[in-house]
Amino acid sequence: MTIWYRIRGFVRWLFRRNEVEQALERDIADYIERAAAEKMRAGMSEFEARRAARIELGGVEQTKVRVRERLSYAPLEALARDARYAFRTMGRQKAFTALVVLCLALGIGANTSVYSLMESILLRPLPVDAPDELVYLQWTARPPGEGVPFGMNVRGGMLTPVDSRVRSRSWPYPVFELFREQRDLLTDLFGTMPAPDVEVGGAEGPLVDGLYVTGNFFSTLGVDARAGRVLTVDDDRFEAPPAVMLSSSFAAERFGSAESAVGQSIRLGGVAFTVVGVTPPSFYGLDPARSQTFYLPMRAGQLNVVNAGGYATVGSTPEMYGSPSDYWISAWARLRPGVTSERVEATLRPQFERFFADNVTAPGAERNVPRLEAANGAGGLDGLRMQYGDTLIVLFAMVVLILAVACASIASLLLGRAAVRRREMAVRISVGAGRRGVIGQLLTESVLLALLGGAAGVLLSLFGVRVLAALLAGVDSVPFRVEPNWSVAAFALGVTLLTGVLFGLAPALHATKVDVFDALKGSRSMPDAETPRSRSPVGFGSALVAAQIALALVLLVGAGLFSATLANLRTTELGFNPDRLLLADVDTSRTGLDGDSLKAFYGSVRERLAALPGVENASLSWSVLAGGGTYLRQVTVPGTSVRDAGINVQVVGASFFETMQIEILSGRPIRDHEVESAQAVAVVDRSFVETFFPGTDPIGRTIEVQGEGELRIVGVSTNARHDVIKGDVRPVVYYTYTWDPHPLFNMVVELRTRGEPLDHAETLRTMVRGMNPQVAVNRVRTQAANTDSTINREILFARLSNAFALLTLVIACVGLYGTVSFRMARRTAEIGIRMALGATRSRMLRFALWQALSLGLAGLVVGLPAALIASRFIESFLWDVAPYDPVVLTGAALAVLVSVTLAGYVPASRASNIEPMSALRSE
Amino acid sequence: MARKPKGSASGKLDIPQGTLDLLILTIIRRAPLHGYGIAQRLKSLTQGTFEINPGSLFPALYALERDGKLRCEERLTENNRKARYYALTARGRRQLEREEQRWERVTGAIASVLEGA
Repeated sequence: MTIWYRIRGFVRWLFRRNEVEQALERDIADYIERAAAEKMRAGMSEFEARRAARIELGGVEQTKVRVRERLSYAPLEALARDARYAFRTMGRQKAFTALVVLCLALGIGANTSVYSLMESILLRPLPVDAPDELVYLQWTARPPGEGVPFGMNVRGGMLTPVDSRVRSRSWPYPVFELFREQRDLLTDLFGTMPAPDVEVGGAEGPLVDGLYVTGNFFSTLGVDARAGRVLTVDDDRFEAPPAVMLSSSFAAERFGSAESAVGQSIRLGGVAFTVVGVTPPSFYGLDPARSQTFYLPMRAGQLNVVNAGGYATVGSTPEMYGSPSDYWISAWARLRPGVTSERVEATLRPQFERFFADNVTAPGAERNVPRLEAANGAGGLDGLRMQYGDTLIVLFAMVVLILAVACASIASLLLGRAAVRRREMAVRISVGAGRRGVIGQLLTESVLLALLGGAAGVLLSLFGVRVLAALLAGVDSVPFRVEPNWSVAAFALGVTLLTGVLFGLAPALHATKVDVFDALKGSRSMPDAETPRSRSPVGFGSALVAAQIALALVLLVGAGLFSATLANLRTTELGFNPDRLLLADVDTSRTGLDGDSLKAFYGSVRERLAALPGVENASLSWSVLAGGGTYLRQVTVPGTSVRDAGINVQVVGASFFETMQIEILSGRPIRDHEVESAQAVAVVDRSFVETFFPGTDPIGRTIEVQGEGELRIVGVSTNARHDVIKGDVRPVVYYTYTWDPHPLFNMVVELRTRGEPLDHAETLRTMVRGMNPQVAVNRVRTQAANTDSTINREILFARLSNAFALLTLVIACVGLYGTVSFRMARRTAEIGIRMALGATRSRMLRFALWQALSLGLAGLVVGLPAALIASRFIESFLWDVAPYDPVVLTGAALAVLVSVTLAGYVPASRASNIEPMSALRSE
Repeated sequence: MARKPKGSASGKLDIPQGTLDLLILTIIRRAPLHGYGIAQRLKSLTQGTFEINPGSLFPALYALERDGKLRCEERLTENNRKARYYALTARGRRQLEREEQRWERVTGAIASVLEGA
């Protein structure tokens, strides 16, 4: 506090000097007046009394000066003086300053960028009242499947795999009410449910990311309307007039502004809703991975939704509110102060388990009791955190290492410079600056350097964070809400000041430990190391350089491991030819086509695409290869007990195997005429044969796909990667889309082109739209890009870690270069003498190079164990490469040694080219 | 800057380091007072043992004002001049209480050492 008063006082002193001077004038005049009056009462004459009073005052001006000195806060003045001096010093050493600022800008910029992302994804709370009080309730259970009973009918099938279990946030409404009764735990409970994608008005295309909410949603969160009013309990009745709240951005896009949207009518899914209000721009809902566009009351009723992919969530019905086995409503609670989520779990878990036991109907389901969990809701749903949390932490570790190397490197440069400035320091100390004063001045210099670097780094990060966000998200459109804010600014400033002190303190301490007498005498020929009275900066400098090299090695090993992982993934045998392949998603859900007309449409699309000039072949399928979704079905061999629930089915069009160039090992591919006539034929892959028909010929055998029908196997293909390129190959059954009984509104078309695939993107779009304008053609991309998007994180790590490692190596080499040149410069005379006494140049070169290499080797000795420890932490990110991979370790060590030799060669050759005579004369 | 040695057994003493603030705050505790008044009062209360010259008094007063422990009121004197009266602020009062307690402990401790020796 006092320091604050002092600074305020000092600032006031600077700006209101006149006022203080006037007050002082008045005080002194008053003092003299009173002192004189006293003396006159004692019998002096007025003139004498005044003179005596002035003398007693001890000089008017001296008093004023002492007051001024007291008010002008000395440390601040010293700081200002040091800063001026530091700027002059920087001005004299422009190249040095630029180098340091560049290193810092890169280090601080990288840190601020990664921190910005971490802040937005991992740290930032929901923009609601007291987010820390929010929890959401979820459960986990063993996944349904072979032999595992599952008593929960989860609407929308929203089950997230977590470790070996599945997780859901849906609850039956009676359980929701059970939760709400816990008034001693929570102040309020609200429910949500994802709304379906709906048609807006006429044919504006679907509106996505809506949310059904209970009437107390906005009041419990403490979110006010930006315009109009929020949804209330009154709106949340089946008989209430349909009301909707829109997001600010959608309201602005559709109605011009939030205000003009209020009161308007909007048709959603065929129902006319009145816009009662607009949410604030900062409110995006409860899931940081989304931006909700509209909010409907939970009981808004059923909307007419085009049900494209087999299932979709629709509005709640009165029956759902009574059902104990329909799991559909998500529950969010605002806890009473002091209530922990552990207490919530401890209270609710037995209650829910009792409810479950009382109501379970599915046979055997009581053996798979869902386990209730209360998750901290302060940051919203944790999808983004789960997806990117680990990645960000690894990135953060990398950038912290970079900054550490930059600090060490700058410290060693400063150390070298400090030795050059010994004389200056000695002069300043000997004229009474005091060691603390000189340290203060050197620290001011380094903090100013850091601030310059930090400012440049923050500017860099504005750009860097966008690049990072784009790299992280890959082809997904993730709304990373990164923006400059106080948290990021505080982080950047904190890091900057910390680096400034870190790289400045040690050199400052060393620089000021000078023997004034020696330094002023100018005994440059005597390196400090050999003067017993002062400890040398050489030993400390060596440690710093070795540390930099060690850290650079850690990053190099990381880069090597990530690159090996990526290379392994890239060279994974895909089982088909991914080159010159163009993909596009075709959505026919709005065409009104169905059944045979839809199948005919797909057939003619494929034929016309295949006939395009420059296109070798074309086909279509339900999902893309190597990075499509999984579509698992249970497959049995009729008449046997052989069955498997985890078989991928791939629904394909004509010429699929020819287009994708999937090798047929035996039998034949599905013929085009079989596609046209919807024959019940299938091609299976080799791993399917190994699972179902080990050692026998599967051609001609019959299999049954659960829920679809029986198929006859006509061919066996090689294993083509179906879903992800990491992990094991799972068996696949291929059959024709014409045979599939489901209406398939979403298909992928594949084009094998002769030249660059993307050249055909526009042709593809216009051609398909020309055939039916209601068809949506989305995400036209190459197969390679699609495959890459599934290994986005590995690509990101490989690219960034390589860039980071290179950067660190360069920074470390700069430090090494500086240290070696400085040492050689100090030994100029010694080298001169040695050479005068007959040492050869090559001998001197070896001697000087050894200085660099010994530092490099010391760095390796420290760095290798450190790298081994660090690589354990990234083991889970690696694929098909061990954390101690000898090739990677050797490569990284070699890279370090080569760089060290190069960095050391320049100063070494300079030292070996010293002319003995001029070296000796320079003393 | 050399100082004359002072502090003989009788006569004037230097004000002990760090106690000037305590003395000033104590003197103006009851009523606001001008600079001369403070100096005079210090002299009379200590029977002339402590004497402060304005060159030390005013820097102390201005620093205390800057630190928010004193505030200044301008009043008209008998001769119709404006004079500055220094008064205690709440912050100053707290500081005074702390200083008093500290001083009591210090003097108590020194006294017990002297008695015990």
